[in-house]
Amino acid sequence: MNDILTLMTPRLLSFKNKKDGNFTRLLVLGIIGVIFWGGLFAVSLRLLSYFQSIEELGNILAWKLLSMVLVIYFSLLVFSSILTALSKLFLSKDLMLVHAMPVSSYKIFCARWIESAVDSSWTIIIFTLPVLISYGIIFKSGPFFYVLIIMVLLLLSIIASIISAMVVMVTVIIIPPGRIKSIFVFLGLLLFLLLYLAFRVIRPERLVDPEAFENFLSYLKILETPSAPYLPSTWAFDVIQASLTDVSHTLFLNLSLLAACACAMIFISLIIADAIYMKGVSKSQTARKTLRKPKVTKNPRILSFLPMHVQAYVIKEIKTFFRDQTQWSQIFLILALIVIYIYNFKVLPLERAPIKTVYLQNILAFVNIGLASFVLTAVTGRFAYPAVSQEGEAFWIVSSSPIRLKTFLWIKYFIYFVPLLVLTLVLIIATNILLQVSPFMMWLSIISILFIVPSIVALGIGLGAAYPDFNAENAAQAITSFGGLIFMMLAAVYITVVIVLEAGPVYRIFISGIYDQSISTARWVWIIGSFGLAALISIFTVIFSMKYGEKNLTKTSRRMK
Amino acid sequence: MIQTKNLTKRYGSLLAVDRLDLFVPKGSIFGFIGPNGAGKTTTIKMLAGLIEPDTGTILIGDTDIRQNPEKAKQQIGFIPDRPYLYEKLTGLEFLKFTADLYGVEESGFRKKAENILDKFSLIDWKNELIEAYSHGMKQRLIMSAAILHDPKIIIVDEPMIGLDPAGIKMVKHLFRELADSGKTFFISTHTLSIAQDLCDKIGIIQKGKLIATGTLEDLKTQAHASSGDLEAVFLKLTREESFQQSVPDAGGAIP
Repeated sequence: MNDILTLMTPRLLSFKNKKDGNFTRLLVLGIIGVIFWGGLFAVSLRLLSYFQSIEELGNILAWKLLSMVLVIYFSLLVFSSILTALSKLFLSKDLMLVHAMPVSSYKIFCARWIESAVDSSWTIIIFTLPVLISYGIIFKSGPFFYVLIIMVLLLLSIIASIISAMVVMVTVIIIPPGRIKSIFVFLGLLLFLLLYLAFRVIRPERLVDPEAFENFLSYLKILETPSAPYLPSTWAFDVIQASLTDVSHTLFLNLSLLAACACAMIFISLIIADAIYMKGVSKSQTARKTLRKPKVTKNPRILSFLPMHVQAYVIKEIKTFFRDQTQWSQIFLILALIVIYIYNFKVLPLERAPIKTVYLQNILAFVNIGLASFVLTAVTGRFAYPAVSQEGEAFWIVSSSPIRLKTFLWIKYFIYFVPLLVLTLVLIIATNILLQVSPFMMWLSIISILFIVPSIVALGIGLGAAYPDFNAENAAQAITSFGGLIFMMLAAVYITVVIVLEAGPVYRIFISGIYDQSISTARWVWIIGSFGLAALISIFTVIFSMKYGEKNLTKTSRRMK
Repeated sequence: MIQTKNLTKRYGSLLAVDRLDLFVPKGSIFGFIGPNGAGKTTTIKMLAGLIEPDTGTILIGDTDIRQNPEKAKQQIGFIPDRPYLYEKLTGLEFLKFTADLYGVEESGFRKKAENILDKFSLIDWKNELIEAYSHGMKQRLIMSAAILHDPKIIIVDEPMIGLDPAGIKMVKHLFRELADSGKTFFISTHTLSIAQDLCDKIGIIQKGKLIATGTLEDLKTQAHASSGDLEAVFLKLTREESFQQSVPDAGGAIP
């Protein structure tokens, strides 16, 4: 046990010695966390209270929700643990150092697994708690219930993380670790999308409208869940349900099942680790030689109008992007998102709406500018924000080259601006066609997007440059950092301001069109002023973000040792 | 030629480089040695334009790197001590990237790149992704990229780390050949035997200050050592300097 604790000391000491987490950063993150936690708590309470108000069906719906929460909790944990365990057990930079020490491999496995379990589960536990606490409040449980839910969540986390660690250990023997990560990320996203598509096709909004079903029985049938008695999440469900309904024997039986399963899994995993962990580590160290033989050719003609150094970066960026397998799954996700986004507009029951359809269609089209902008923000956060950090430790090539950092940032900007503009225009135009909006609304959407995209991309590139992380093992995770949060918040504020500035004038013009009214000169001044201000804010956002990014990146590059 | 005047750099309260005056003439190899934390890497990074000095000037040829960093960097080939590269490019693609960045003519690129890769024994690996290269191969690829645009000045931080004996011999030979053709080298190293074999002049830095400079013979004179190799001279000079700095009123008395 001493060896395991010693192996974990570097991590604990690093955490203790961490000095870069300044107060403001922690405060902002804390506030966001508390708001999100509080929001989840409020929504859960509201939902459960609503369920309780439905006679006969209230408890059924509450149990259905609880079982869904626990299944999702468990699946999320297994998936996130797989990725964390893979990094901790096979891809960490300090792995060689640790394995060179005179410690048994199962002890190293154990120390790494504990780290992995904590890393992958603490956020999920924290954000599942408000939902379960709401159950305690609604069902008026005693203090024992709250101790119990923490025990249940911890046991589920242990089981999920140990299953993941075992899966990873066995898989590494068959597939090289570098590829496993991509495969799991891809499979996970695929699973998520299939579930989402299935969810959309079922149209769950009908579940709260029993009248839409032929009869009450078919409605109840939909609510029935096939219980899986061997799934730990089912035992967890039974424990919590039993505690809420005071069935003590079921509670203790299922709690014992959870505890016994966790202990047995740990024991089995240690035996497996002793037998194969070192083999996997050894296998992961062998150099990966590419099977493809890319040939360098002349720069594509399509780029010939650009200066040579710009061509160099564009080609480098595109090649490194598409050769990184972890990006493939993300591209797939984006494509699926577009399909889902457009599909959602297709299935809108506009004809059954109580207000005039033309009016509703155009309101939706206007709201759609904001929605598409939020999608754009998410995609920018995933791709453009980490673009500077993506240079990683090879950033010295940029700093030592005869290219100014300003030029470097603008090159990055345009590399991401073009595809993101196309993506957002596709979203806007396709959904507007489906909504059959007026030509005015179509042009307004397009022009707004032509202002919004440059600003959001500039915010992404600029803040990504201002808060770069060149040492990150996975630059894509940069968006979860402090800078990433600032980007998300500023983007949200910017989109809101633009939409608010446009809303009044758009409403006025639209109403005047419908009722054939003329617009006074004073109103025109107001309309032009609002649109002009939105445009000015956009231009300012582009200039300020890029300048801020350049200034801070210059400072960072000078500080780099 | 490389010239620094009054070059100073601080990291907070730590004085990393203290009023450094250096002159490296064209076509020579200057070795820069010193104990750990003496200020070698900071100096190298200032010369390569990676960090800015607090005060002082750096002339790369006749260009002040602070006044015109892009023009100065165009004349430099920089070889860092750690070979971090774009792992998803092939060796040849990385050279093409560097060539485009430094404005090397597209017409003669292929031949030139293949010649250099051949010289560094990387020709068979030119179409492999860099992630498959060993540490030494990456180091050789960086060297290939650094000389591709025909720079006047080559700045090298620890040139031989990760190279095998044959690689070291080849690199030493190549550096000498390039220096004889008029290139100026500034090399920082801990490997004293390489500094002794390769460099025309050597500078010793300690606690940010240049404590001795000149040929090996000059250094021997400064160390009052009639015989011995660079290692003995280096240890003597750095020990004396430490002693003098720890006893400010010692008046230069040497035990």
